[in-house]
Amino acid sequence: MATNLLGSLRLASLHLASNEISRIESSEAERCRVISELDDIDELVRLHQARIRRFVTYSTGDPDLAETITQDTLLRAYRGRESFRGDCSISTWLTGIAINVTRDHLRSNRFRFWREVQSNGVDVHEMASFLPSDAVSPERQMLAKERVKTLYKVLETLSYNQRTIFLMKFSEEMSVDEISEILGMAINTVRTHLHRALKAVRSQLGASL
Amino acid sequence: MMHGSSTHLSDEMLDDVLIGLGSAESERHLADCAECRAKVQRFHSDVHLFNQASIAWSEAQPFRTVRAVCMAPAFRMPVALWGSFAAAILAVAVGIPVWHYEHSLSVRQESGIVQEVQDSQAQIAQDNELMQAVNAAISPQEESPIDEYGLSESSKMHLKARPK
Repeated sequence: MATNLLGSLRLASLHLASNEISRIESSEAERCRVISELDDIDELVRLHQARIRRFVTYSTGDPDLAETITQDTLLRAYRGRESFRGDCSISTWLTGIAINVTRDHLRSNRFRFWREVQSNGVDVHEMASFLPSDAVSPERQMLAKERVKTLYKVLETLSYNQRTIFLMKFSEEMSVDEISEILGMAINTVRTHLHRALKAVRSQLGASL
Repeated sequence: MMHGSSTHLSDEMLDDVLIGLGSAESERHLADCAECRAKVQRFHSDVHLFNQASIAWSEAQPFRTVRAVCMAPAFRMPVALWGSFAAAILAVAVGIPVWHYEHSLSVRQESGIVQEVQDSQAQIAQDNELMQAVNAAISPQEESPIDEYGLSESSKMHLKARPK
């Protein structure tokens, strides 16, 4: 009886160890797959350029600056692809790089940055015009555009941190934990920024929220 | 905690739900309350519209490749190599003469060439003595045989006019 129990325990532990080894192997294989995906610079640009450009454009409010930061982000990602640990998605990793590149730019060009933002702001009317029609009525389409414009105008009034965190959460669909880790910010601080951003959105979008 | 005396979610609870950190109580309330559910759906709808428009705008921007920039390191390397070559050449150009000088100095010290240098210093001193002797020989302080014998007045005048 005791021998059977010991044997079962040994089998169970072997099974667990085998599972752990296969899990490590599969995560390593996944990492290798992603790194090889990062090896193709054209594919990296094709898949991620628009999303990074969107994120940086609406967090900085400057499309021209966003273009430079997007290029720099993809370049840094390509050159540093070996450092990708595989513990998050490529999108999350790239967003983290984009934030660091933006911070670097802010540090070195703080005054010029804000002056440029004043003069090179996003054309929200142009952006709203890209809303897919989805075969809805012109009235609903116009209403949708107005809501997009309103939301963007609210984002413009937020601080850089509030706006960035709002976009990370609701456009990049990152978790609060991921945002906290990427920004090196306490979870409660991230939540506070989100609450303030949502309060502003709620007050501007009206009674519907 | 529900908002005031009403049975709806407070703003903070609603925000927590939107952030994805809603409590079980909030989730239960949302399941029952169409009004609060509509608020959440409306927010997500607005965000969805914004995301659709902004990504479509971004995708419509001119496609820029970073391949050319990525290839840049390959072209930067020769510049670095040229710099290394230049540094190496400079090191050789400066190093060899310095080494040669130090090496020859040590060889001289070993073979007694320094003695030769000292000899040449003695030779210079000897030459100087000779020159002094010549100067003394032609000095006007020494009486000329012409003057001694009063052969010519004009020669005396000439000697007086000669610069010292």
